[in-house]
Amino acid sequence: MQDNYIQRKKRGMRVRRLVGKLILTLIIYTIALFYFSPILYMFLSGFKTEQQAVMPSFFFKPTLATYKKVLGDPTMYQYLRNSLLQVLVGTGASLLFGVPAAFALVFGKLKKKDSAGKFYLWFITTILLPPVAVLIPLFTLYQKLQLINTPFGVMLAYIGFHIPIVVWMVYSFFSDLPIEIFEAAGLDGCTKVQQMVKIAIPLARTGIISAGLLVAVFIWNEFFLGFNLTGNPTATLPVYMSRFREQQGMFVAQLSASSTIAVLPAIILGWMSQKALVKGLTGGAVKG
Amino acid sequence: MTSGAIHHMGSPMNTRKYDYGFILPAVIFVAIMTQVPFLLTIIYSFLRWNLSRPDIPRTFAGFDNYAYFLKIDTLKHLPEFYSILWQTFFITGTTLILCSVGGFLLAVLLDHDIPGINIARTLMLGPFFVMSTASGVIWKTTIFNTTFGWYGVIMKSLGFTPVDLVSYHPLAVIIVLFTWQWMPFFILVLLAGLQGIPNDLIDSMKIDGVNWFQGIFGIKLPLIMTHMRVAIMLGLVFIIKEFGLILVTTAGGPGTRSYTLPYAVYMQIFSANNVGRAGALATMTVLLTLVLVNLIYRSIVKRNTQYM
Repeated sequence: MQDNYIQRKKRGMRVRRLVGKLILTLIIYTIALFYFSPILYMFLSGFKTEQQAVMPSFFFKPTLATYKKVLGDPTMYQYLRNSLLQVLVGTGASLLFGVPAAFALVFGKLKKKDSAGKFYLWFITTILLPPVAVLIPLFTLYQKLQLINTPFGVMLAYIGFHIPIVVWMVYSFFSDLPIEIFEAAGLDGCTKVQQMVKIAIPLARTGIISAGLLVAVFIWNEFFLGFNLTGNPTATLPVYMSRFREQQGMFVAQLSASSTIAVLPAIILGWMSQKALVKGLTGGAVKG
Repeated sequence: MTSGAIHHMGSPMNTRKYDYGFILPAVIFVAIMTQVPFLLTIIYSFLRWNLSRPDIPRTFAGFDNYAYFLKIDTLKHLPEFYSILWQTFFITGTTLILCSVGGFLLAVLLDHDIPGINIARTLMLGPFFVMSTASGVIWKTTIFNTTFGWYGVIMKSLGFTPVDLVSYHPLAVIIVLFTWQWMPFFILVLLAGLQGIPNDLIDSMKIDGVNWFQGIFGIKLPLIMTHMRVAIMLGLVFIIKEFGLILVTTAGGPGTRSYTLPYAVYMQIFSANNVGRAGALATMTVLLTLVLVNLIYRSIVKRNTQYM
């Protein structure tokens, strides 16, 4: 009798816990889906015709016509190409300058003991500088130097603004590596460059790749400098997206397809880089 | 930093060379592209310089450009600068409060161990990586539009007349969009904090019979306060400088009612062509950002030393 009672009670608790978990799961998924729905709806509306897109709906007969039209438009290609150029060269150069700096700040030998800390802090402070601080002189000087509306001009600014982010993120990944490896390598006659290229970079490569992905997302999405320092033939995708602002609800399908092309790469790269983001933030800033 | 110190002691044989060669290229590049232009901005802010009037020579103007924005003649007619400053504070502050509260609650929710929790987390993170101009035009067209958007359609089906939110509630629209974009970032950071709480602490919480509310707000929240401050600090830096979203949704309007400081700088240089005034405004924007960040940073450092 007694045993039976306890068993029944236990089973009841288990069932209640299971039901609770099920409800919790449903709540979490509903909220997540609702939060994501503007992006989802944008993605779906790209598969509509303009006539279908006039009335908001989630269910419709999908077509590839709008995507074909958008991708067949040469101006879209031009913006896409400009964005890719900025992202590839900008991210590459930021890593090229930033990774060695981060390496030397962690393992290098500087004149004073606290020099590395001071340089590190200086890089962090630069991240805090808003782009409005540099726009005016860059705009006036670029006009004089004929760099205005060129891909090169805005690229220089992107590299300057993203080196500190690379230093910040990669610093925390290098700090995790055991110092003994480098001491041993140094005693074996390994130069600092060899230590960096052959030991540090391969060991911290996932971190470096994620930091690179994050910088790529930032450059891909950057608007303020891109908008003010480039012209029609050199503008990037965020500038293209801003051109839709006057349309007052027209061409929803075309807008959706274009923004999907502009937004999806960043979301995917961002999802891949989220570990570096957390690590860079918590490793660099929380522990101080 | 400690690892660097150990390294110095550990390699007495390697005393010949310093490693500045690794650092200086980055430092020089960053200095030329960010620090030097900022110094020039400060210099420009003391000049009388109008791009549309090349016939007037550039002259030293003292603090005239600052006075133009700051000088109060009568208390009844405050210069426009103060309303722009207030709008910047209001938008940034409200967004940060909504992001902190909502971000914490959602992080607590997403801290549960349910099947496929990573899919839910990934979906919630999505908006953070959407370029602001795209999210602006998408929300404006597919949601806020009174005829074609979800808001308009739902309001009409419920028997209400939808109003043009972008014109009537520009600040609210901007705040909603900023919050939508930045709450995922808060969730990401706070979730990392929640998952860093040691398991035995949570176990002892259960044994002690701490109720749900006490557990969340009395124990977990204080434990991740440093994460919260980091999120607020970085959120502040990025939200205060946001420009694209305002341009594509309200374009600062109606009138100047949704101007923020970066938007006002942009208008000063590209609409008024006034380099000197734009420089003064930009300098004040940077100073304001740095002061606010410094305050939050100090509170993080203070708190960390308390706990050590």
